[in-house]
Amino acid sequence: MKRIFIAIFIAICFSSCQEEVVLDLNTLEPIPVIEAIWTNVPNFNQVTITTSREYYDDSPNEVIEDAQVSVRNLQTGRSANFIYNEQLKKYLPSNNQIGQIGQEYELSVIIKDKAYVSKGVLLAPPILDSITYEFKDQRVFRDEGYYITLFGDIPFDKDNYYRLRVVKNDTLLNRRSDYLLFDDTFGTQILNRGFELGGFTFAAGDRVRLELFRLNKNAYDYLSQLVSLLFNDGGLFSPPPQNPVSNIFPLEHDGNVLGYFMVSPYIGASVLIEEED
Amino acid sequence: MRLFQRCITLAICFIPMFSHLAIAQEESYIEGLVVDFKSNQSVPGANVYWKNNPTEGVTTSPEGTFKLPYKKLPAFLIVSFIGYEQIEREITSRDLGKNLKIYLREDQLDLQEVTVNSTRPDQNVKSLDMGKSVVPIETIKNIPALFGEVDLLRSLQLLPGVQTAGEGTTGLFVRGGSADQNLLQIDGAPIYNPSHFFGFFSVFNPDAIHGVDFYKGNIPANYGGRISSLIDISLKEGNFDKIKGEGGIGTISSRLTVDGPLFSDKSSFVVSARRTYADLFLRLSSDPNINNNDLYFYDLSGKAVFKIGDKDKLTVSSYFGSDFLGLSGQFGFGWSNWMGAATWNRNISDRMFFDLNAYSSRYNYKVSFDDADNGFEWGNALGETGVKATWNYHFSEQTKVNWGSHLQFYHFASIDLNPAPNSAIQPLASNPFNGLQINPFVSLNHEISDKIGVEAGLRWSIYQQHGRGTSYTYEGNEPTPEAEIIDSLIFNRFERMKVYQGLEPRIAFRYLIREDLSLKIAANRAFQYLQVASNSSAGLPLDRWILAGTYIPPIRGDQFSVGLFKNFNKDTWEVSLEGYYKDMKNLIDLRQGASVLFTDRVETEILVGDGYAYGVEFLLRKNVGKTTGWFSYAYARTWRKIEGISFDRWYNPRFDRPHDLNLVLNHQFDKQWSANLTFVYTTGQAVTFPAGSYVVDSQRLPLYTGERNADRFPDYHRMDASVTWKNVNRGKKWRGSWNFSIYNLYGRKNPFSYQFTEIFNEQINFTPTSNDPITSRRPGTVMTYLFTFLPSLTYNFEF
Repeated sequence: MKRIFIAIFIAICFSSCQEEVVLDLNTLEPIPVIEAIWTNVPNFNQVTITTSREYYDDSPNEVIEDAQVSVRNLQTGRSANFIYNEQLKKYLPSNNQIGQIGQEYELSVIIKDKAYVSKGVLLAPPILDSITYEFKDQRVFRDEGYYITLFGDIPFDKDNYYRLRVVKNDTLLNRRSDYLLFDDTFGTQILNRGFELGGFTFAAGDRVRLELFRLNKNAYDYLSQLVSLLFNDGGLFSPPPQNPVSNIFPLEHDGNVLGYFMVSPYIGASVLIEEED
Repeated sequence: MRLFQRCITLAICFIPMFSHLAIAQEESYIEGLVVDFKSNQSVPGANVYWKNNPTEGVTTSPEGTFKLPYKKLPAFLIVSFIGYEQIEREITSRDLGKNLKIYLREDQLDLQEVTVNSTRPDQNVKSLDMGKSVVPIETIKNIPALFGEVDLLRSLQLLPGVQTAGEGTTGLFVRGGSADQNLLQIDGAPIYNPSHFFGFFSVFNPDAIHGVDFYKGNIPANYGGRISSLIDISLKEGNFDKIKGEGGIGTISSRLTVDGPLFSDKSSFVVSARRTYADLFLRLSSDPNINNNDLYFYDLSGKAVFKIGDKDKLTVSSYFGSDFLGLSGQFGFGWSNWMGAATWNRNISDRMFFDLNAYSSRYNYKVSFDDADNGFEWGNALGETGVKATWNYHFSEQTKVNWGSHLQFYHFASIDLNPAPNSAIQPLASNPFNGLQINPFVSLNHEISDKIGVEAGLRWSIYQQHGRGTSYTYEGNEPTPEAEIIDSLIFNRFERMKVYQGLEPRIAFRYLIREDLSLKIAANRAFQYLQVASNSSAGLPLDRWILAGTYIPPIRGDQFSVGLFKNFNKDTWEVSLEGYYKDMKNLIDLRQGASVLFTDRVETEILVGDGYAYGVEFLLRKNVGKTTGWFSYAYARTWRKIEGISFDRWYNPRFDRPHDLNLVLNHQFDKQWSANLTFVYTTGQAVTFPAGSYVVDSQRLPLYTGERNADRFPDYHRMDASVTWKNVNRGKKWRGSWNFSIYNLYGRKNPFSYQFTEIFNEQINFTPTSNDPITSRRPGTVMTYLFTFLPSLTYNFEF
């Protein structure tokens, strides 16, 4: 909400008083960045390992290709090893292994003798019943177009931390304003009454896929802080900028690490928007 | 602390001795009252002395009274005050026992040029005040203003030791303290959010203000509740003579004040109003996306004074100010301050005075969103109600004592979130915060000798958080976001939840090295039982105030200061050099990613730590003459250490700006023309810049070292100027003046913010859409700056 006020205020007053500048910034030694996703479906499970670099350097971040990556089921002790895929520049699980609902998993990444670990529980997913869509005229805060409403049920009284991703015509919407993160601060009835994706406008003929993830709190907090950082304008109204707090930790050494480990069930639903009469 | 204890013990021991001294003095006195001839209002600060002994005079009290010893009558009494014609009157023995009333007439030649001051000219040297500035409202009105809006708080930022959060904002950061550590009160009632328009204007209509006493340190014992500063504002009293008015038509707002007698010459009233009119212009647009919007603020204030006999005075005052931002009737956001105060002043005897002040202050905000699916109304209110009784006893001209008690009741209401009938949002349940605080105090002001003076005071703050409310017990007794609640204790109304108390000694010494040079030393302790839980540097209307409780202790602030004060050229110039050290315990900050607006367990989002600040302040000031103003320079540092922030190491808050230089000049060319110039130079704000970048979730993020505020904005500097033309035709009832001012005269681009973001398609504000996709992206820095070369025109009038 605060973000809306600030955006309105700044838009009203200051939109013309901006210019690009180049500052003399310090540069930290490269820090490994681990982004690991572990779900109960095959195609999402992957680990990306890159390094940080100088701020104004616009070349692609260096990819670490020789790390040892695995995800271990802490109940059964079984590990899924990940193998680097040159084409995708990612680590993928051997044999397309997947997680199981209710199990706790541990990520292990070893980069040049330095190990990094993280844990997460693969929670049960909420229920998705249906998707509807409706054409709406233009109003304040709303463009004209088709709007999607998601119906379902959240039957849990804790660990309610969700991310909804929107894929439009096979393209993941990933602007900073496209993040849809919600918890149970305002209750768990959000799906029962129908959750309209108010910020997304669609046209007839669009194929839309919704991907719902139920996150562990530390992964949810990481993404919340990531979004907050994307909106941080460095001004008086923004909190002091900080790196999102990673849920990955160095094991028995003092090295830094960035990124996060997301353990989540996946449920998805698709709809083809057809023109209304 | 040991120093405090010794000083207080010393002071308490001295009180009986001084009483004895006072009784032993068997001098004869004449007594009287000095009043303005036209308005019949008392004149404080006037000089009263015998013509044959001009060096041993007195100044009139805040009520305009004086008491002057005499040796032989008849003798000629002189009464003088800047801006008035000097009075010389023969006093004979027949005048003894009468209450003399001396009428001062305005000096017609100089009135337009002078600055009326309620303090004596050598106050700077001879008083026990340290870190105190009395800023006449006429001086404030002369300072060039942003958008032509004369602003009290922005004027105070031009004093040494006072920092601003950023360009144009009115928040005050005094001697290393944060904005919520300032007690800002109108007629004794605190104002919780003293800003309009997201902090860019303060809530005070300059025409409604009589004056402001600003304490940066050494706050007297009869005030308390905040550790950094006291901004004590008094609303103007109406005149007792005839209906008068003043006002102005400005670039963004207009204002009107009317005052005059009420019912009789024993009572008066004043009412003031101010309103912006941006929304009126918006309505002229033919575009429905524009003309449906609202954006305004307004202030209303009033004060009535009733003189009841010769000994009693009753004043009743009130202020209401409100902001509103509305978009197409669907979205609304408003906030408002209200305060009401009543004060009874009684002269019990010629030595004993009594003041009773009762007040209530309330701040609330409301956000509404009219939408069938996700509509809601969300609001919150916080308030303080209090009563303060003060007795003043003047043993003699040299020895004065005041004592009393201040009772405060805080009520911070629960968050009120009401969804629309079919909204997917569920109502919120949270607990209110309530607190009761009682503060007995005593203070002694004594001139031990011609050279040495002491002011010693003690305030005892006793605070209790009480029900209705809920106190949670966390696993491991550590309130963290992850900690499980293992117990909830529910408290009924007024049931005690948590108690804190603390002694707050205040002491100051003055040694008069020469008649025009003094050395002063002061030490001061204060406790603060409420804070704002926020991690932004500027105050926002939605800021959440929290009271001390089980997990959040009160702030303790100790300040030590020393200063040299000197006047030159018959008190025309005054100069001071002050140094201070301030220690702060139990400051709060928020955890990373904390969300405190709706939570009922705010303690889980808060980190507690300490801070300190030190600095040296230099001030050279000229108060009289055709050219007036001041030059100030301060070197000031402030630090914080809070577990969980900046590797648990000391860091600077954003408002740490070591070098701070201000120049304020006003020149009166003739009776019609005057000009003003201000120049400000400060070190850039302490901020955090990235030291790299990385990619997560397909987002390029700036990489931070973890150290907070280790970088700096470029130095800030700015010059403002204004020219005023006054119509001095005295025969006319209506007198107008024009003021033309320019903010940021040389158009300096002082950064308001640097945003580290990706630049898409080589455009700094590009928003990708499906029709306008991203074709290039690279990391960049976008600087936002405000208010370059901003002219404004204001027409002011009096009738």
